[in-house]
Amino acid sequence: MRITRKAAGAAAAAVAVALTLTACGGGADPAEPGSAEKVSTDEDITISLAWWGEPARAEMYEKAVDLFEEEHPNITVQTQFQDWDAYWTARATEAAGGALPDVIQMDLSYLRQYGATGQLLDLSGQVGVNLDTEGVDDSLLGSGQIDGAQYGVPTSTNTLALFYNADVLKKIGVEPLAEGYTWDDLNAWMEEVSKAGAGEDPVIYSGADYTGTFWFFLQWLIQQGVDPFTEDGQLNFDEAQMTEWLDKGQELRDAGAFFPIKQAKQLEPLGGFHVNQSASEASWDNFLAGYVAESGEDIQMLPMPSGDNGPQQFWKPSMLLSASAQTEQPEASAALIDFLINEPEVGKIFGTSKGVPAVQAQIDAMNVEKGSVDEQVVQYEEQVADVVTESAPVPVEGFGEIEAEFKRLGEELQYGNVTVDEFVTQWFSFADGAVEQS
Amino acid sequence: MSAHITTPPLSNQAAATGIATGGGSSRPAGPIDTSLRKAARRRKGVRSVGFHAFMVICTIVVLYPAAWMLMSSFKPSNEIIGNISLWSDNLSLSNFATALSGIGGVGFWTFFGNSMILAVASVVGVVLSSTVAAYAFARIDFPGRGIFFAIMIGTLLLPFHVVIIPQYIMFNELGMVNTFIPLLAPKFLAGEAFFVFLMVQFMRNLPRELDEAARIDGAGHARIFGSIMLPLMRPAIITSSIFAFIWSWNDFLGPLLYLKKPDLYPLPIALRLYVDQTSVSDYGAQMAMAVLALLPVMLFFILFQRYIVDGVATQGLKG
Amino acid sequence: MTAVTSGTTTLDAARGTQNASPERGRAKRRREAGAGFAFLSPWLVGFVVLTAFPMVASLYLAFTDYDLFRPPSWVGLENFTKLFEDPRFWTSAKVTAIYVLVGTPIKLAAALLVAMVLNMKHRGQGAYRSIFYAPSLIGASVSIAIVWKAMFIDDGIVDRIQQLFGLPAGGWVGDPSKTMPMFVLLAVWTFGAPMVIFLAGLKQIPAELYEAASVDGAGPVRKFWRITIPMLSPVLFFNLLLETIGAFQVFGSAFIISGGTGGPADSTLFYTLYLYIKGFAQFDMGYASAMAWVLVVVVGVITAILFKTSNAWVHYSGDNR
Repeated sequence: MRITRKAAGAAAAAVAVALTLTACGGGADPAEPGSAEKVSTDEDITISLAWWGEPARAEMYEKAVDLFEEEHPNITVQTQFQDWDAYWTARATEAAGGALPDVIQMDLSYLRQYGATGQLLDLSGQVGVNLDTEGVDDSLLGSGQIDGAQYGVPTSTNTLALFYNADVLKKIGVEPLAEGYTWDDLNAWMEEVSKAGAGEDPVIYSGADYTGTFWFFLQWLIQQGVDPFTEDGQLNFDEAQMTEWLDKGQELRDAGAFFPIKQAKQLEPLGGFHVNQSASEASWDNFLAGYVAESGEDIQMLPMPSGDNGPQQFWKPSMLLSASAQTEQPEASAALIDFLINEPEVGKIFGTSKGVPAVQAQIDAMNVEKGSVDEQVVQYEEQVADVVTESAPVPVEGFGEIEAEFKRLGEELQYGNVTVDEFVTQWFSFADGAVEQS
Repeated sequence: MSAHITTPPLSNQAAATGIATGGGSSRPAGPIDTSLRKAARRRKGVRSVGFHAFMVICTIVVLYPAAWMLMSSFKPSNEIIGNISLWSDNLSLSNFATALSGIGGVGFWTFFGNSMILAVASVVGVVLSSTVAAYAFARIDFPGRGIFFAIMIGTLLLPFHVVIIPQYIMFNELGMVNTFIPLLAPKFLAGEAFFVFLMVQFMRNLPRELDEAARIDGAGHARIFGSIMLPLMRPAIITSSIFAFIWSWNDFLGPLLYLKKPDLYPLPIALRLYVDQTSVSDYGAQMAMAVLALLPVMLFFILFQRYIVDGVATQGLKG
Repeated sequence: MTAVTSGTTTLDAARGTQNASPERGRAKRRREAGAGFAFLSPWLVGFVVLTAFPMVASLYLAFTDYDLFRPPSWVGLENFTKLFEDPRFWTSAKVTAIYVLVGTPIKLAAALLVAMVLNMKHRGQGAYRSIFYAPSLIGASVSIAIVWKAMFIDDGIVDRIQQLFGLPAGGWVGDPSKTMPMFVLLAVWTFGAPMVIFLAGLKQIPAELYEAASVDGAGPVRKFWRITIPMLSPVLFFNLLLETIGAFQVFGSAFIISGGTGGPADSTLFYTLYLYIKGFAQFDMGYASAMAWVLVVVVGVITAILFKTSNAWVHYSGDNR
């Protein structure tokens, strides 16, 4: 290509300027609480709202937005929705162009990525004016804060659970675990299940290799009294701890008691538990609906195993709502967030599809049908409420990456391509690069 | 290179018979001995049976996955993944009902209509712009042609994922997000080098004698392009149209970045919503919508494929 | 990329105009240049307005640390040095190279073979053409992930067939050593695009050539090598080049089938997929841009070589000799 050097230089400079202009620099100072104006009631306002999820969720949001527009006749909400992968590709591109939608559904794992880089509005200024957060539990609300700035408001909660398939257990004649079980009990039980299920056709396995899931590692760390991440967004655990965790599964891995990775890959995006070839699976409690729909059998829930200090769990905000730092309508955006987290009718519309609502008024408004999935999840969260003593770790910047790398190495471990030590070394060297930026 | 290709002088009569019309048109029989003809017909019959037997086997191999997909669209969602059989006892139309009922208040036909507008406009844009650009590369001698050609090929080499951010910033600054312009402008400005290059290859293979004859008659480039090249380029134009239609129809990333209102979504964005890894997935509805989305492209191909091969008269113009 | 011009400079040379008077020649040349730029103008405008800026921007970003959220900062060659030390980069390069070297020739051979069969004079060819193109349509659908995997799981159709032939049983999907063949088969199965182009090219070949060759007593093999291949060479060259470039950049099916991970065990971590993971999942667009430009150089060299060799075997009926 014969472009003159001068022209190329000029073009590069123009590019640099364009990219710099659109990406806005680091986080601003936290806003003064309650410093915002009240949202206008006569001016015509249009704001945009984006979420990820399946068509059923789109129906629900559209209904909720209709109610909001009824209450605020001067505000029009322009909605858009994508599936999870597409959603984050679209948002990242918009962030680069300084054009995020006014209100976006946010996931905990991306909160710091968007919050700490100045993409999100500090909602503190709106609290008490257009946004009422009184009904949200303080530790839960805290999971939407970074350095004192409220970048997201949780709409609902999740906590981890151990699901088991009661029908499958009956078939192979193994009793479910009793509440208060420990990680060692879990291992012993899994061994028992895999022995009992070996003669079945198809073979029944105990469950997937739980050590390959980053959140379970974090759950275990918290039970060890370790906060996984520091306040300033660094890792707060070491290689020895990760090795100890991964070693927990070694015996079962060697014995082939876990659901084989080869078969798991064939079933993706489902898992062995969905197709009743696996007796148990740990996951977020709102996965129940998916398990029930796919498996069609009797799925029950237990709290996660106890650590040395008993059962300790945490609420994870299953979904947050954030506003864009670039929004021209911070008041209206805050009002929409307020409506979505507080309005009882909205709670009725969504049920537990996003997790159990963060605000009691929404839980109370739900029509929980007897024997429904909704009821089972609500009951589970009521049941574990006593053992939820910890607050959710606020992910570091790059959380999504280190979580994905953990999963990838977990698969390599199950294929036998890496050892536990190699896993740990590789993961830390990756995490150094991914987390260091902040 | 072409030394060993014998190009016999061609009589007008041979050209007029139109040899490669395809579709099994029988040629007028000459005065041949009847027994010979019978033998020939028998031989032809045997060959024909062999041919069709072979093709049917190939068809089964090639279409098995398609059949599996079609059958899956009638199965309940939890009988799709990991299922190896074609059949199920629970076949129903409910997936299609779900797919046709739309998403979030936007009807299936809105998605369908958007896809159709984008695809048809893409075909028009690609055909207009790339034939014109290809003519310049293939038939006109102008300074810098080699360099421009190299640049055009060069644009094929860069993976598009690294240009989408700058491109998005550009169109966003121009206020063109939520319009079809970012998706169609490249089509109307010959932005897809694939098509330009394809046209160039076909145009360069057309005999020169034609345009030289026209030039002697005083025709300019516009006339030569319009009345000689375009008609002869029909196979390439039809081929490009088919690809332009299908690629636009299946494009996902472009609409994702530039269309932020559900009423503007084309089908591929709607399709993906049924399988969201964070919530309950409806594989059946996705299969059904995928099948519905395939029908128009399939139809488009069936309708237009004949023009690639039918009635091309270039033979008569050679020599 | 400069070497790419070699293909067209010969084209220029071949077109050498033999003009009688220098003055008339100059006027003619000016007229030709005007016409050339007039016809080229849509492309030129498109290139300058739509393509040039993003390309230059990505080249610039290759030398920066850019996470999409903060302004890019100049880091010189750091992305490139990081890249060459990154084992997953080499994995992705290896995976892609195998795919290009194995998949492309098989796919092209299949496409050419089928195109020639479809070019024969028989009833029902229109139906067969449509049937053989159908996989390419399905291959671009998001449902291909579920459909294709279903063929290759335990007891799936492929497993049954290999059992029939006494081969060891087992699905391919979860076996990192067999996922590449699975992708190659997917590429071969979706041979529709090159097939259609071959078909259009075959239709351009004058039937009289074959008839004359028959009269001379040439058999089908001889006709294939003496007539079909030379006459088809511009199209063959097009397909070879574009399928090669396309194979280097394979993304859609890789992304959909592995759920965007390149798994299992990185066995399907294609180059562009890793680039995408770097840029959009790990927010390292500088690194991704560097990867992209490394690919440009590698594929550019291959393209240049193909153009260079094309002088020896690609024959254009419309070019003066």
